[in-house]
Amino acid sequence: MPSSIGFYLTTVLVYGAVDALACLGLNMEFGVAGISNFGFIIFQAAGAYTAAILSMSPSATTNGGFQQYVLGWNLPFPLPWIGAIIVGGLLALPFVFLVGKRLRGDFAAVGLLVSAVLLNLLAKNYIPFLNGSAGISLVPAPLQNFFNPQGLGYQLAYGLFATLLAVLVYYLLRRVTESPYGRSLRAMRDNDIVADSLGKNLRGQRTSILVLGGMIAGLSGAVLVGFISLWAPGAWGYAETIVLFAAVIIGGAGNHKGAVLGALLVPLGFEEITRFLPPFGSPSLVPALEWVAIGLLIILFLWFRPNGVIPEKRRILSSVVGRTPTAPIATGDDSDDPINIGSVDDFNFEGLLKTSNVVNDGRAILTTEGLTKSFNGVTVVSDVSISVEQGRLTGMIGPNGAGKSTTLAMLAGTLPTTSGKIFYEGNDITNVPSYKRAQMGLVRTFQLASEFKKLTVLENLVCAIPKQSGDSFWGSIRGRRYWGTQDKANIERAEEILEGFGLSQYADAYAGSLSGGQRRLVEIMRALLAEPTILLLDEPMAGVHPNLARKIGNHLTKLCESGMTIVMIEHELSIMDEFCDPVIVLAEGKVLAQGTMAELRANSEVVEAYLVG
Amino acid sequence: MSVELSKQGLVLTTTALSAGYDGRAIVSDITVEALPGKVVSVVGPNGSGKSTLLKALVGVVRVLEGHVKIAEQDITNLAPEEIAKLGVGYVPQIDDVFPPLSVKENLEIGGYLLSRHEIPDRIDAVLTFFPRLKGMMSRKAGKLSGGERKMLAMGRVLMLSPSVLVLDEPTANLAPMVATQLLEEFVRGFADHGSTVLLVEQRAKAALRISDWTYVLGGGRVVLQGAPKDLEGNPDFVESFLGGGAAARKPHDD
Amino acid sequence: MSSFGFGLITAAVLAIATVGFTMQFAVTNVLNLAYGSVMINSAFVTYWVNRHGTSIWISLFAGVFCGAAVSWCLNKFIYTPFQRRNLVPITVVIVSLGVDLVGTFGLQAIVGGSFVTFNMSQGHEFHIVGMILSEVQLIIFAICAVVLISIHWLLKYTRMGKAMRATSANPNLARNSGVKTRYIISMTWIISGALCGLAGTVFAMNSGVFEATSAQLYIVLLLAAMFLGGPGEPYGAMLGALTIGLATEISAAYITADYKQVIAFVVLLGMLAFRPYGLFGSEKTL
Repeated sequence: MPSSIGFYLTTVLVYGAVDALACLGLNMEFGVAGISNFGFIIFQAAGAYTAAILSMSPSATTNGGFQQYVLGWNLPFPLPWIGAIIVGGLLALPFVFLVGKRLRGDFAAVGLLVSAVLLNLLAKNYIPFLNGSAGISLVPAPLQNFFNPQGLGYQLAYGLFATLLAVLVYYLLRRVTESPYGRSLRAMRDNDIVADSLGKNLRGQRTSILVLGGMIAGLSGAVLVGFISLWAPGAWGYAETIVLFAAVIIGGAGNHKGAVLGALLVPLGFEEITRFLPPFGSPSLVPALEWVAIGLLIILFLWFRPNGVIPEKRRILSSVVGRTPTAPIATGDDSDDPINIGSVDDFNFEGLLKTSNVVNDGRAILTTEGLTKSFNGVTVVSDVSISVEQGRLTGMIGPNGAGKSTTLAMLAGTLPTTSGKIFYEGNDITNVPSYKRAQMGLVRTFQLASEFKKLTVLENLVCAIPKQSGDSFWGSIRGRRYWGTQDKANIERAEEILEGFGLSQYADAYAGSLSGGQRRLVEIMRALLAEPTILLLDEPMAGVHPNLARKIGNHLTKLCESGMTIVMIEHELSIMDEFCDPVIVLAEGKVLAQGTMAELRANSEVVEAYLVG
Repeated sequence: MSVELSKQGLVLTTTALSAGYDGRAIVSDITVEALPGKVVSVVGPNGSGKSTLLKALVGVVRVLEGHVKIAEQDITNLAPEEIAKLGVGYVPQIDDVFPPLSVKENLEIGGYLLSRHEIPDRIDAVLTFFPRLKGMMSRKAGKLSGGERKMLAMGRVLMLSPSVLVLDEPTANLAPMVATQLLEEFVRGFADHGSTVLLVEQRAKAALRISDWTYVLGGGRVVLQGAPKDLEGNPDFVESFLGGGAAARKPHDD
Repeated sequence: MSSFGFGLITAAVLAIATVGFTMQFAVTNVLNLAYGSVMINSAFVTYWVNRHGTSIWISLFAGVFCGAAVSWCLNKFIYTPFQRRNLVPITVVIVSLGVDLVGTFGLQAIVGGSFVTFNMSQGHEFHIVGMILSEVQLIIFAICAVVLISIHWLLKYTRMGKAMRATSANPNLARNSGVKTRYIISMTWIISGALCGLAGTVFAMNSGVFEATSAQLYIVLLLAAMFLGGPGEPYGAMLGALTIGLATEISAAYITADYKQVIAFVVLLGMLAFRPYGLFGSEKTL
């Protein structure tokens, strides 16, 4: 009979839209921002419950009061759905402490999983809240006083409306992801510590995305409960989150189209396939086999195709419309590195880096008092008091384990101090978080590989540029018209510096595929683009061709003449000789001496203890 | 030193060795020879690959080209536990003890390859050499001071009576007096009793004082080698440390 | 007071399970979220042997063997290959969730959804200091105590136990000392797997009736106990389990029994938020 097919198809449409919404939300959290929200289902549940209890009459009066639940405000559509969205978003807030940067990713994920189970348990057992394990039924369908919810027309309209919502969410998420803010989210996903050091507010970003994901999940719950009219704890165990994860992974994490595909393949696909299977075995057999299949798919996909059916796409940034993407197969080998040394010479760093507003007065721009760091009773840095003069290239040397990197990390804020104070431009920044320090102009680089692997080289660079109008949640929502022009100018700057360092041909290559020396250069370029007032470099020349190292040293010197301050840890003493003055010697966690290299060489204590044994 | 703690040394050689991580060579074309009863030191500025060289010898880093031999046996890319079985004792620069284990247990793991009844005697022998450890047997290694940790790290490796002792910057983070004592009494003494000692040191002058032969690394290659008295007078030697000189003249400069 | 008695038994079973779980984490750095499914599968193997006429205490060994064998296979064929791939750590956790699904629901597909029970009698009841415990519960407690003491003896006094602790603290140094770490890791999974199998079986015994998904939420108690004591610390695991086990049962006497696990969740979330390295760990151990 044609009408039953019609009903079937509209049901598929609604379920498909609901699953797509949920997967889009989860993908935003997991695939784009790198938040493994194993408890995602509770946000969908919250939305469903909210929509239910807002649209129903008070519990005592409904059908003889056989259900108990809170609220019951009898609100007309679309208010219950708006309520669902709001509750879904608000519920995300208490979980922000779990995804804070100090906790390992897998531990945080487990915490979220456990929360989902806990809330399910509470909902199931505390009956007055949401009617316990029986759940809430007889939820009114939207606008049911005006239309017949059982009619095919209504259901078709419902399905189309749900699909429309999914499409709108898709475009909204795409708008966010393709903006500078999206770039920052993906950078956070790829390497959160480095993103933090470049001024990205990790906690703020994670909060925003958790709330956004929660709102979308809440909406999906409202859409579902409006259609099926009931909602119970059995519908949202943690297993349901795993299904959504499977969907996102299989479809393609990081790609919104992949999320939709995954939604259609996994939750929807499974449901529909089993509908048409002839019943066999015991009633629990088929659902059990479904779970087995999902589990197997997760394992197989993560092994063979971890990027999913539709992988995250490479973003080609360009200041010029229609530039051909450049991405030679970077072999990661330093030998095929045709660095055009000549061009670095003529390159106008200073103009590019906006150092013109700097006050050049040689003041003590960064000082420490009694800086100390201990781990478990072992003191690694002890009572270090130094004063860095503005406009100078200060070097820091010392044997392995002398505490140089630790000191630098404390200056940058990536490591908390055990005691002591740090002053920047006269202000006590000892307790200022590292991302704020970066925003204040205190920028650091890292000793080990720290590029954003799944971003292109150009994206890595543009990401570092501060004060981007598109680099905030609301800025991204306002769309390309709002941040487009500024972004183009930023991309142009990045392209220029890339050319200056002779790496233009790698603009669109994934940063993770470059050789060690090339990645180093990307890191230096990135730090320079962050518009630092003071630059903290941790062994920047390691692995760099010595001639290029010298050129870079020359330019760092010129930058200092224009007013930048640089503190540089290095081992190559010849570099110290040529470029750094003063040089601070650290040994065994303490400051041993300070002066020019010539003075230090003449200082027998230093020579004895460090230089030549 | 107790005779029990040392065994007659074996010859350790590398031939045209290249090694590094992920297929990328950090050291290239290294040929080094360490003989029984001699201290051979490897010095050079930081970043020259000294640690990587040692790690390649003991199986922690992959050898990409060339060979490592003990006596005449090829041990290139052998598993670290197999290399330990052949009598090679390695003391890394960091992560040189088992922090949650007690001092006694650290030593016992050092003697993992020994039979049960050999261990107590061996521990006694090690303790006569490092008497300060005697009072800390039940203390967790993670709670020791820097110098005590290094002693324990040495003690651990001595449990096996290694024929070849490979040390990565043993004096790092030690006070100069303690460092000197470690090098001159322990390291030199060990070689004097017949074992082979290969040593990487940052304190080049101190290393030269106790070495029979020294290799200078720069940019991942051997740039200079010789007997300490010859190197000391060589202006290139001092230069290579303070930057410039032989170490800075890397192959692709030409 | 009777809830104290229940608490002791729950704690004993939980201790066995947690020690196994934490040993796996210590030596492989992986949160094996499939642990619960191995537990219940082992319980069913015991059940199957028991149903064919063997005494429950002999059948128990079948369950232990199943736990050991399956856990070893899990590590060898799934976790180690995935870890070699150098993927983001969360990937292995998701894989373990997938394995948990396959294990639990594969079992359900085979044995169906109905509850089963062991062929055993609970024995006499004993009244001890206000607690009422059955013979079986006392035997379970005794088994658990013996096993925990054995693990303690293994880790502290045997060569292999020390090698296990060394391997989890510093695998490279262990290898340089001559320890065959691959073998030690295998043995750790076999032993912890045996604990898992034992825990699964006595858990089923203590529950009376059980079915394929009975242990699905046990992982939460495990995680709570492990994080309370500190991830990777076997002694911390024992103390954590004791605390959680007693707390859940005692609190059940004061609030509805359905909520008794809430304490475990709250503890776990609290530890994760404020002290993820546990009461006995320190910052550096993570």
